Amino acid sequence: MDKKKMKILVVVDVVILVALIVILMTLKGGYEEQAKRTANEQESAYLEKNTQVLVEQWRSVDQYSMAWKLVYSMLSGAKTEAAFKSNLAAIEGDKDARFKQISHLYTGAGINDAVQNGIYQKAGLAEGTILLKNEKGNKEVACGKNCVVKFSFAKGKLKNVDYSALVQYNLANTLKIEKPGEYHFE
Amino acid sequence: MNLKNISIALTVLVFGVIAMLFMQKGNYVNQAKEHYEATTAKSFKGNSMVLELVNNAIDMNKQTWAIACGALQTVKNSQDMARLEAKFFPATKGSNSIANKTRRFEASSANVIVSTFGKVEEDKKTGVKSLADLQSVDVSVLLGNVAAASAAEGDDAEEEGEE
Repeated sequence: MDKKKMKILVVVDVVILVALIVILMTLKGGYEEQAKRTANEQESAYLEKNTQVLVEQWRSVDQYSMAWKLVYSMLSGAKTEAAFKSNLAAIEGDKDARFKQISHLYTGAGINDAVQNGIYQKAGLAEGTILLKNEKGNKEVACGKNCVVKFSFAKGKLKNVDYSALVQYNLANTLKIEKPGEYHFE
Repeated sequence: MNLKNISIALTVLVFGVIAMLFMQKGNYVNQAKEHYEATTAKSFKGNSMVLELVNNAIDMNKQTWAIACGALQTVKNSQDMARLEAKFFPATKGSNSIANKTRRFEASSANVIVSTFGKVEEDKKTGVKSLADLQSVDVSVLLGNVAAASAAEGDDAEEEGEE
């Protein structure tokens, strides 16, 4: 190769090298930003999905707790349709007592106050009423996810309470924390 | 000759920089992947533990409630109560307080019920005292009112002798 061609090659190499260094520096920032952004996005999405399960569990425990209190109230106090109505309203309306009952269960489970408060901040209490069905003489009350307690009345008097669903209540079958998926650099 | 060496060196350098270009992407991807895996694994572990602990607590809580509500429907005396307790918790026995006419059942410190009876009965043959005429079942502890139930706890609790 003659001297002139060598010179051209050196010049071309230098130009390519400079261009590559510029590209390298530009992409470096881009890759770093993209990697951080995608990791954060995917982490947030997973944590949100995960937390939602605990939110659902908290609200289910609220319904579960209210349902037990209602069953107990109906069996220990006046066994009338009117008492059912007033007991239900009193139980649903006493939000402090609802929180206390849920918190007691969580504390008993070994969940500390900070974690409880974190879940409560997102979950609050179960929304709306637990009364699912209110036909004359037949009432159905939600007692958590996939759980229903049935009260039947005859001439305004309590005839039967079927709370077998509460006794068999098992959230492990319905609520699960999914394992995290693979990270994708997109 | 010098020029030839320089051009060879520069060409090698160009390929080196091209290689670096591809490698740096891999480095950032690996760093991001490690961060993602560490964060999500921690969340998975922590939240799964909360879910499981609460589910286990529900398991004990529901059985204690079932005793309280079952007692209100079927129990007449402390022997009936003992049978009901054994149905749900075969390994845990409640204890009578003859002086207070109460029976305390404690599945755990968070799951306690105290039944109050109307009278004390004594087996004439054995002299063993038991409680009869169930009046009420206190579920204060289950409702989170721990202080109320502690006050009701008898300090002269006697082991039941009828079994």
